[in-house]
Amino acid sequence: MKSSLDLYFKSAGEHKILTREQEVELAKRIEAGDSTARSIMIESNLKLAISIAKKYAKYGGNLEDLIQESNIGLIKAVEKFDWRKGFKFSTYASWWIKQAVTRSLTSNSSQVKIPSHTLSNARKVWKVQKEYRESFGCEPTETEIGEILGLSQKHVRQAFKGIKAKYAKSIDERVGDEGNKTFGDTLPDENAKSLDVILDNEKIRKVIINSLSSLTKREELVLRLRFGISETDEEDNNIYVIKE
Amino acid sequence: MPMPKGFKSKNGYSTKKTLGGKSYHEISDLMTDQGYKMNHSTARNVFVSSLEKIARDVVKLYDVDADENSINRISKDPRFQDAIVSFMREIEYEKK
Repeated sequence: MKSSLDLYFKSAGEHKILTREQEVELAKRIEAGDSTARSIMIESNLKLAISIAKKYAKYGGNLEDLIQESNIGLIKAVEKFDWRKGFKFSTYASWWIKQAVTRSLTSNSSQVKIPSHTLSNARKVWKVQKEYRESFGCEPTETEIGEILGLSQKHVRQAFKGIKAKYAKSIDERVGDEGNKTFGDTLPDENAKSLDVILDNEKIRKVIINSLSSLTKREELVLRLRFGISETDEEDNNIYVIKE
Repeated sequence: MPMPKGFKSKNGYSTKKTLGGKSYHEISDLMTDQGYKMNHSTARNVFVSSLEKIARDVVKLYDVDADENSINRISKDPRFQDAIVSFMREIEYEKK
């Protein structure tokens, strides 16, 4: 069975790509307020919106959400397209679509809010890293990345932090197939005492109880007074003596 | 008796403030009132010797060949005293 996304791709593919002349004619009709022309212009460019959304999906967003966002960008481009400037609609629209998609990625795809300029730099850094690895087989240094992109080291570091923060997970996020555990449940407790330590403590405890029970009343009272532990009700007995 | 070199700076002293109890002068007064006549020096000696008894048993548990000097040093160590206070409070709490 085909998913709704496949059906959407199929229906978007049914619309033919417009020629430059058709685009100008439709743009003129849109200017005159023809809503049918507007629909034709949008539907004919849905493939462009999908292809841009797919390119950005690797940065962490949900593809269906990104397609929605890129369609919003496409609608805006249709409204603002000026046929008199002589450009192809796809050239003009791709900027609006990219802007809509990147803005959505910045605001929605991370647990931590990252400034859009940092995220934009992060994307560039990520791309440079990938290309550098492919060319030289090793990771570029911060200085090299800065030189390639014309960014200061400070901005490169911020971009790296942005990449890390983007993949930050909520500790309460559900994980596993059944979703009955949170991410926090799977983290090891660094402060948990091992069984050895617990057993060791128990041994020491027994020894100390024995030692305390062997103290005279005089010694016990002095210890209690020095340690600020109130005296027991049992007047004559050392409280540490284990009774049968 | 002077403290061994480096002992104070490394671990500090246990004081009545850190232990939450009374000074040796106060202890000797209270003990005298209860019929255990003693001065502040005796109060301190009794306190240290009681802790030495406990330290000796703990050392035995670990099969450590410790001489009297080491036992004395352990008993005066604030970390050891803190541990004993914790155990005593725990036992006290459980008895209640």
